[in-house]
Amino acid sequence: MPNKEEFVRIIKQHEGVIFKITTMYTDNRDDQKDLYQDVVYQLWKSFDSFRAQSKFSTWMYRISLNTALTRLKKSKRMGNTVSIDKVILEQTENYNPEFEDKLKQMYAHIKQLNVLEKGLMLLLLEGKKYEEIAEITGLTPSNVGTRISRIKQKLKQQIVKE
Amino acid sequence: MKALWSEMSHQLEQQKKLTNEIIMNMTQERYTNKFKTLSNYESIGAVICFGIGVHILTNFGKLDTWYLQACGVFTLGVLFILPILVLNSLKRIRNLNITNTNYKETLLNYSKAKQNLLKLQQFGIFLSFILMFAVSGVFAKIWSNKDFFTVERNFWANLSILFAIFFVVVCSYWGYRTYNRVVRSAENVLKELE
Repeated sequence: MPNKEEFVRIIKQHEGVIFKITTMYTDNRDDQKDLYQDVVYQLWKSFDSFRAQSKFSTWMYRISLNTALTRLKKSKRMGNTVSIDKVILEQTENYNPEFEDKLKQMYAHIKQLNVLEKGLMLLLLEGKKYEEIAEITGLTPSNVGTRISRIKQKLKQQIVKE
Repeated sequence: MKALWSEMSHQLEQQKKLTNEIIMNMTQERYTNKFKTLSNYESIGAVICFGIGVHILTNFGKLDTWYLQACGVFTLGVLFILPILVLNSLKRIRNLNITNTNYKETLLNYSKAKQNLLKLQQFGIFLSFILMFAVSGVFAKIWSNKDFFTVERNFWANLSILFAIFFVVVCSYWGYRTYNRVVRSAENVLKELE
């Protein structure tokens, strides 16, 4: 049985990361919440198997990305979908609609990439080095570099098109 | 993009809202397994298929010509084997090990398992076309003691057969196109990685 307190503490510490990953791999708020639960459940299930051979965040990215990838959608939900209208959840005093629009645009561009590219882009934006991205994805660091430059090219073209 | 991402990360850090209780709820009773739901539907379908199969088996003696017996054997084969294959395929996807593999391995395994499941369902769609005739022959004999392939049919009977053929053709075409598209995207992922 995993250590409950330790698990809760770590999840709280990384909830922003899980939020970003689940938002990237889903199209509406309901799916995002479902995926969020799946990720937390998978992390809980495999928490005991974490051997501290790699950094905790590396392990967590790997499990979260794998969960997002293998999540089989039953079918398209009809009627009651709630599109992700806000990336930043709460309207705090600092809430800035212009910033929110930019975020939405950024997510829209990233969502046009394929699953592997999405994962690579997310890790790059999270500030991970090529070596760590390679460790999480199973690609070689040089392959990561090549793919990332292709992704940048692709995104540039997308943005120019607009 | 990176600056925007960092700013978003910063704001998300400030609005953390998970409580201990929510986290534990997510890991336990509130968790619903998507594959389990899908498997449940497939299992119900399989039980129905097996039930019909048993009904045909117990009445198999009524099929008195070689072609009706061939239809019976074909129908039984589809009703018993196809659901087992689909359930097995689903089990394979459900049991993918995602905790000890990296992203690339998971992507490969998932794409292969998905391709397998989709191709099987695609095959099922094609079989349904032949199955429609086979089932008609078998049940016409079992229930009404009539030979579907030689009996004289009136206008309405012919029209309903035509309608059934049209319906199956449209469904097969739609299903084939849909599955083909999904299988192709799974194939592209595999090509890119292998």
